[in-house]
Amino acid sequence: MNANETLTVGQGQSCRIIVVSSDGPETLAGPGGEWRIVFCRDFSMHLVLERDASAEILALMFPGADSSMDFNVELDGPGADCRLSGIYLCPGSEKARVNVLMSHKSGHCSSGQKFKGIVSGTARAAFTGKIVVARDAQKTESFQENHSLLLSDRAKVDTMPQLEIYADDVKCSHGATVGKLNAEEQFYMRSRGIPEKDAMVLQMLSFLSSVLEILPEGELRERIAMQIEDTVRKAF
Amino acid sequence: MDNDVLLKIEGLKASVEDKEILKGVDLTVRKGEVHVVMGPNGAGKSTLSSVLAGKPQYTVTGGKVTFMGRDLLGMSPEERSWAGIFLSFQYPVEIPGVTITNFMKTAVNSRRKALGEEPLTAAAFLKMMKEKMALVQMRPEFAKREVNVGFSGGEKKRNEIFQMAMLDPVLSILDETDSGLDVDALRIVAEGVNKLRTPEKSTIVITHYQRLLDYITPDIVHVLKDGRIVRTAGKELVARIEENGYDSIN
Repeated sequence: MNANETLTVGQGQSCRIIVVSSDGPETLAGPGGEWRIVFCRDFSMHLVLERDASAEILALMFPGADSSMDFNVELDGPGADCRLSGIYLCPGSEKARVNVLMSHKSGHCSSGQKFKGIVSGTARAAFTGKIVVARDAQKTESFQENHSLLLSDRAKVDTMPQLEIYADDVKCSHGATVGKLNAEEQFYMRSRGIPEKDAMVLQMLSFLSSVLEILPEGELRERIAMQIEDTVRKAF
Repeated sequence: MDNDVLLKIEGLKASVEDKEILKGVDLTVRKGEVHVVMGPNGAGKSTLSSVLAGKPQYTVTGGKVTFMGRDLLGMSPEERSWAGIFLSFQYPVEIPGVTITNFMKTAVNSRRKALGEEPLTAAAFLKMMKEKMALVQMRPEFAKREVNVGFSGGEKKRNEIFQMAMLDPVLSILDETDSGLDVDALRIVAEGVNKLRTPEKSTIVITHYQRLLDYITPDIVHVLKDGRIVRTAGKELVARIEENGYDSIN
């Protein structure tokens, strides 16, 4: 797989890609149906979406190795839509880096970014997400979310949301948080007889769950959800 | 008959963030009894329920609590649940992405594992879910919903009583279960609680108002004020409080 991919999605076409960091976990290498599954530790993509084209991309960064993912997306024709979601799991000493440039060059386009991750040990995660809306790109709708759980004092998360908006009739938002596991939620679970460790796993899965909504309900989503559950249970 | 004693609280003191809330609580609950702990806002009612369930944010600074002969205060929240304590939360917590089915399956099987039992089969679990949901008139599609996410106040409290039915506790603590409920929801919740009553099981109802007590008849009523139980009597005390307020009791 090319680590440096350039892709133009033509008028009315769509693309669906899952990028998985490194060459494991093997369970993810099954059939993806409409989704192309790419295994790549350092992935960089330049994506151009023409009129009414759409892209759905899920980035999954698993533990064990440093990885970086760059997405440079141009929404270049009216009606183009890009959904970009990702999960980073960094329990040890990994470095995970996500860079997104979402360029709205044409009006009436929409985009959404949702990245969530869990960082522990001495790991580092950095998210830089930029939304640029050109002067002519009126009626743009774009949001960006980046949320991290920071489970160790020695781990570090950098989140840098950036908006550059030159048009005046747009709906754009961004939100970034870095937090710990919610104590009230944890007590609620434990009071129902769920042991502390299992409660923490359940909390982490609950935190990550909305990212996987980019996938339709079905076998592929369940397979990925199970792999994430397995990784969270073993690694954190 | 001391064999009948389920829970014995002696001189319990507890604080949160260095502020003493419970200043020496004594309370004995026997098998089959329904106790009510009433009191004005800030008396320490919710602290008492949280401390009994083992909420880590509270620090016990004195006294002792024995549950079925065991030292309760030395047990983790999950161990207390396995031993048969259930707390119905005043503000049930939302858990996005986790369905009621998965949550309860995890809870029920965690306990079975702790007690050395095999996990329930999928069929047995679903049958149990169906029965217990019917008890609080929860529609079957609720099983697929995320825990408490987007629930109305009444749905959240019904979900608490449903969980209580699933976990089949020996001692249930209902913390302000009546708050924020309309009359219909209150009736459904109370009926659920009443159906679960047995001569072996006990309940502590914590409440500010007497509303819930129109449906659940207590054996013993306590008034908690400023971190202490200042009066213990039969159910006739409820009417007196309703008439004269908490100020009349010292």
